[in-house]
Amino acid sequence: DSKKFKFKTMRQKLLESADVLDDQIDSFANIIQQHYQFDSFVFGNPAIASQNEIVAIGRIVPDSPLIPQDAILNSDSLYLETSRLNGIGQRVPLNLKNIENYSFFLGQIVCLKGLNPTGESFVVKEIIQLPLLGAPVTSKKELKEFNKLQQNQSIKIIVCSGPYTSNSNLDFTYLVDLVERINNEIKPHLVIMLGPFIDITHPKIADGSIEIPNLSKQPDTLQDIMKTTVSPILKTINNKIQVLIIPSLKDVNSNHCAYPQDSLDKKLLALPKNFKCFPNPCSFQINEILIGISNNDIFKDLKDVTRGDSDKQNRFDRIANHIIEQRRYYPLFPGSMKTKKVNSIQNNINKNEYSTKEEELIEHISGADLDIPYLGLSEFSDVIPDILIIPSELRFFARVVKNVVVINPSNFMRQNSPGTYVVLSISPPDLGENGLTKIDENKTTNEDDQLYIHDVWKRARVDIFKT
Amino acid sequence: TASNELQPLESMISDAERFKNSEYLTLQCSCGSSFKFGGIQASKDYMITHHGVQCNRCSTNFSNLRVTSQLEKIIRANISLYYSGWLYCDDVTCGIVTRQISVYGRRCIGHSGKAHGCKGIMRYRYSDKQLYNQLLFFDSIFDVDKAKKRSLKPLYEEQGEEDKENVKPITQGALDALCEQNRDFFDICRGVINRYLNNSGRRYVDMGSIFEFMVPEQKA
Ligand SMILES: [Zn+2]
Ligand SMILES: [Zn+2]
Repeated sequence: DSKKFKFKTMRQKLLESADVLDDQIDSFANIIQQHYQFDSFVFGNPAIASQNEIVAIGRIVPDSPLIPQDAILNSDSLYLETSRLNGIGQRVPLNLKNIENYSFFLGQIVCLKGLNPTGESFVVKEIIQLPLLGAPVTSKKELKEFNKLQQNQSIKIIVCSGPYTSNSNLDFTYLVDLVERINNEIKPHLVIMLGPFIDITHPKIADGSIEIPNLSKQPDTLQDIMKTTVSPILKTINNKIQVLIIPSLKDVNSNHCAYPQDSLDKKLLALPKNFKCFPNPCSFQINEILIGISNNDIFKDLKDVTRGDSDKQNRFDRIANHIIEQRRYYPLFPGSMKTKKVNSIQNNINKNEYSTKEEELIEHISGADLDIPYLGLSEFSDVIPDILIIPSELRFFARVVKNVVVINPSNFMRQNSPGTYVVLSISPPDLGENGLTKIDENKTTNEDDQLYIHDVWKRARVDIFKT
Repeated sequence: TASNELQPLESMISDAERFKNSEYLTLQCSCGSSFKFGGIQASKDYMITHHGVQCNRCSTNFSNLRVTSQLEKIIRANISLYYSGWLYCDDVTCGIVTRQISVYGRRCIGHSGKAHGCKGIMRYRYSDKQLYNQLLFFDSIFDVDKAKKRSLKPLYEEQGEEDKENVKPITQGALDALCEQNRDFFDICRGVINRYLNNSGRRYVDMGSIFEFMVPEQKA
């Protein structure tokens, strides 16, 4: 529900943040209890000594409140945080020496079997898998209708993610070229464009040396650049093609500078009818296909502690797995933060001091900007999307994880060079013998009510193009 | 409680007092000079001409976009810093500064990281009130009516004699003229700031408080 994203920002209350963090643990406790049908007495408080094995549910946290953002964690630096209900919020060191295979990260909700023999640490014996949400399903009748609508043709979608200029200028020539290809070569049904369109951290903006080429009058504000420069390019996309705009936390044109993030204002951007502005994150359907999109770089930010098979697994697969298991698009907590060390002389101007002492000060640049009381809006609804699109500044990829197609189109423009974008084609659902997977439990006399899993991963083709 | 935050006299106190802890807007010129910008008032680093800000070092006029883009960048960095969610413990013997939040919120997790032992109370280091005030400060330096009345937060402390000696004060006539000549552009700058102020939950809280204050007290 996109209206829920219209909340006012810059007003986080610590107690409301804590409520959400507490609830994340307890709601997984309920999910686990229902799924495994454990007797309630097997659950216990891992922070107190006990001679019997218990099941503990909590959040992975660091062993020190002073841990630096970029610290490399290891198996000796993890604690488990309990909920108010499970362990009066205490945090206990984890002993992982008996576990051969794991991947843990800060903020992860986990379910562990083990015991705390001395009261000093919780010795983990077994990791209990978090139950997964189901895949979306659709009835035969609806699938037939969708097939008719798309005349048995594949659905073609372009996905691209900002920035749309290099770091050295604000020249949108490559975007002009893309629109040309959209209209004349690729001719997709849908274009998904993710911000930033105008990146507030662009070096030319930071030092004010910004200039927009080919304009008789320079715009007065950054917001004007979208209207005078970017929107006119976007408007030339064939109006029969639907375009979806999703903001980034770095977008100048967003004044909702927090994640979850409200959609951009289509009227202010002066965009035509075939454009839709969606919040970040969002999920929507194209015919039966459920697409989930989040524009907050979890693939870069999430650094896990691994051992065994997990260690050998592809890192992107591991993180995608975590997102699916945790049921939210940005499960890392605290979120990432980007800072810069600056020479004190410049900074002293701000601090109203005139010392010439050389000391390094930290300037805050950007971050995951989580509005914790509203993190519920970044959770999956009741199913796992068929396709997950989560742009990252890391190298592009498309992978199938737990039968979900996971796509990172990477940046449309890299710092000093062109980047990449994705063309996604999905063939129509095949209802024949070797087609979509039938849901067996759904015993029905009416053939049209038969439910199918979408099997998008078997039908999708992802092509990655150089910008 | 909300009533503790009530500051009915907020509009009566001077900008110097109200924005005591706010950070100046730093502007960078193409010549490399970088200085604190305090609106239309006398400065040793910049001059206000009939079309905007001029650098004293190289005499170049700032383009509108040069000013608004640096202003907007600083606003966004402040909002992002707010959202980085740094907390501090108010017990001086502990005093940890961390981004970890206990499931009780105000409880300190202590140097041990075990969330027991320290009785201190955790608070956001960059509070929403501070952020709101910071945005109001940026708004104030582009307020030409305040500039006319010479009620802007001064660029130099009274004690900073050294600075004062080098700065020629602006006559009232010149000040009035400059304010009118720059009003349109300064309103554009205020527009930038107000886009963010309008999305601040704090703004609506403040309105609420003012309203409460205006309701006459019930006599017992
Ligand atoms: Zn200069
Ligand atoms: Zn403390």
